Amino acid sequence: MEGESVMKIKIDHNKCCGCKLCEVACSLKHTGSVNVQRSRIRVFVGEKFCLPVIAGPYTEAACNSKNIVMLEEEGISECIICRASCPAKSVFREPDVDIPLKCDFCGDPPDPQCVRWCAAEALILVEE
Amino acid sequence: MFGWKGKILRIDLTRGNCSVEDLPDDLMRNYIGGRGAGVKIFFGEVDPRIDPLSPENKIIFSTGPLTGTGVPSGGRFVAVSKSPLTGTIANPNCGGYFGANLKFAGYDFLIIEGKSPEPVYLSIHNNQVKIKPALHLWGKWTTETENAIRAEEGGAEDAWGKNILSVAVIGPAGENLVKFACVMSDGGRALGRSGLGAVMGSKNLKGIAVKGTGEVYIADVEGFKKAVIDFLNEARENRQLEQRSLWGTWSLIARAQATGTLSALNFQRGYLESFRGYENPATTREKILVRDEGCFGCFFRCSKRTRIPDPAYPGTTKGPEHETIALLGANCGISDLYDICKANYICNELGIDTITAGATISCAMELFEKGYLTEKEIGYNLNFGNIDATLGLLKATAFRQGFGELLADGGYAVAERCGHPELFMGVKKLGMPAWHPQGRFKGSGIIGLQYATSNVGACHTRSTLTFNPGTSDAEPLAKWVKHYQDLVAVVDAGILCWIIYHGPLWEEKPRLWLQLVTGIEYTQEELLSIGERTWNLERLFNIVAGLSAKDDSLPQRMLTEVPPEGNVVELVPMLDEYYRMRGWDENGIPKSEKLNQLGLSEWKVKVS
Repeated sequence: MEGESVMKIKIDHNKCCGCKLCEVACSLKHTGSVNVQRSRIRVFVGEKFCLPVIAGPYTEAACNSKNIVMLEEEGISECIICRASCPAKSVFREPDVDIPLKCDFCGDPPDPQCVRWCAAEALILVEE
Repeated sequence: MFGWKGKILRIDLTRGNCSVEDLPDDLMRNYIGGRGAGVKIFFGEVDPRIDPLSPENKIIFSTGPLTGTGVPSGGRFVAVSKSPLTGTIANPNCGGYFGANLKFAGYDFLIIEGKSPEPVYLSIHNNQVKIKPALHLWGKWTTETENAIRAEEGGAEDAWGKNILSVAVIGPAGENLVKFACVMSDGGRALGRSGLGAVMGSKNLKGIAVKGTGEVYIADVEGFKKAVIDFLNEARENRQLEQRSLWGTWSLIARAQATGTLSALNFQRGYLESFRGYENPATTREKILVRDEGCFGCFFRCSKRTRIPDPAYPGTTKGPEHETIALLGANCGISDLYDICKANYICNELGIDTITAGATISCAMELFEKGYLTEKEIGYNLNFGNIDATLGLLKATAFRQGFGELLADGGYAVAERCGHPELFMGVKKLGMPAWHPQGRFKGSGIIGLQYATSNVGACHTRSTLTFNPGTSDAEPLAKWVKHYQDLVAVVDAGILCWIIYHGPLWEEKPRLWLQLVTGIEYTQEELLSIGERTWNLERLFNIVAGLSAKDDSLPQRMLTEVPPEGNVVELVPMLDEYYRMRGWDENGIPKSEKLNQLGLSEWKVKVS
């Protein structure tokens, strides 16, 4: 029935190599130039893993739940896996003007460019 | 402007000044960027006769029009300077994210000149450029230095802020002016060869942090997007590249063993029975891999982050790659993977080039075994295979302690001091990389010609290696070397990754990417002539610096002795052919007609 299925981008961080082509694809789509700071997806390059994070809703204030989460034996700040565009974070905001960014699946019907450009198949579009 | 940013950032460390200059149009058209344009700027400003460790030397961090655009495997940057090890032009390149970040900050080139009165590091956030004190970082090893700079520059509390900036640093080896010290960037990438770490050390420059939030414009956005997707699909079908993703450079050891081109026991051998285990790269991967890493824009992820189960080495590091396994392993008679990893780890942390380190220690090992060096002088019983001595000497080298004081000047200096310079296996004082020029296939000497004619000394990334030229005639071999030297100069100007683009497979790709990104329709002939122009300019630099045809040679025994698994290198006929094709005279000096043809006539004065 219409409206019941939802498109999602599934992230497999084990496959991500940190090439950041998803960031390039996103900024080309949304800005017409290459500017990863304006990308709605960013890749966190850890020592033992890489993690693509897709921008979610905006939050007005930074939270105070900065717990340490374990990912591939590496203790990381909860901030890294959080998708919110937040004033305390250096990503998901337009440079200079500070407007928050949010993923829009590249329009309707969804055709996320980050998924198309991900040769490592760490990003996959699924229907749930 | 498309591709380029059109700006040069200049830092004068002596006066503590920064300035921004426009990039001349003809520089872009005639040299593209990266290595070519970097060499052009450098030669225009620096007298080749200077002492490389004096304040008169400069170091130019160069990007190309393709850097930071998302062109697949276009994430590298080049650094141009005069090498303290060889006295030649130096232009190693390096992966990671540094090049892209410099471009996003708004600059194609970063020129560093002079000498700071005290230790500093450079902080570049777009147009906010600061020279900051680094006394508290002096003496620290590379990972610790990088982490400290990330915390200072990205905000200690901001995990993302620390993560998205790029850092390039030197370790103790660079500070102590070890002539083959490297610059380490973004968690283990290296501007490896030629000793640029010592050049930074001589300027009291501990590191550079760069973060950019600007854009790079693409001329044909839709065409570019389509070309990238097509390329991704094409690459996915390529089995050889698939292997490169899985094994990195580890799979090359089997090829070296099969062709007799493994650098073993200071190049006395081209094959080692004890290296049979490395012929299956799956074993290596299983033992040490932490994860596969891609550079900016490169999904081939050939770089491998590793770790060994030894509490004395708790951290992860990059590599050892094939070159390191061959040089610090086989060439030093060390076969155990974990031992090689330890040596690699120490080199990365102290900021030493692993290839040159292997070449230097293996040279000392042969000198010791032949009785030209004693245990008393060295402090170790330096037989081939002695891992404890190797690790000890690497540390002593970085701090110039004991015998390390001599080792720090490189293998040639050691061999010469012992009265046996012929036992140093290198060209122009740069130790040979992993591929033995005396392999057991027809035309194996082609590798020797590549090393002998390289402008930076023995280097494997200046042309295209081939293991099946199908002939031993001088003419086709010289033609191959020249052609790919010119093509690789274009690849390095773009900048694209040599590993992916050096061969015949994608010879036309640089032209395609340059056209889509910059909008300039270069012809293939024009590109090759840009490569040739770069090659000749580097050559002229070296000639003024005091090098001559006699430096285009190989260690004597490679020309006269047949090793157990190979051939002698018939260098002279190849070299004659090569000079002729290059349009150089018998002394290896470019003739006037050639310089005129390449638009280099103004440089003639410099040579005479």
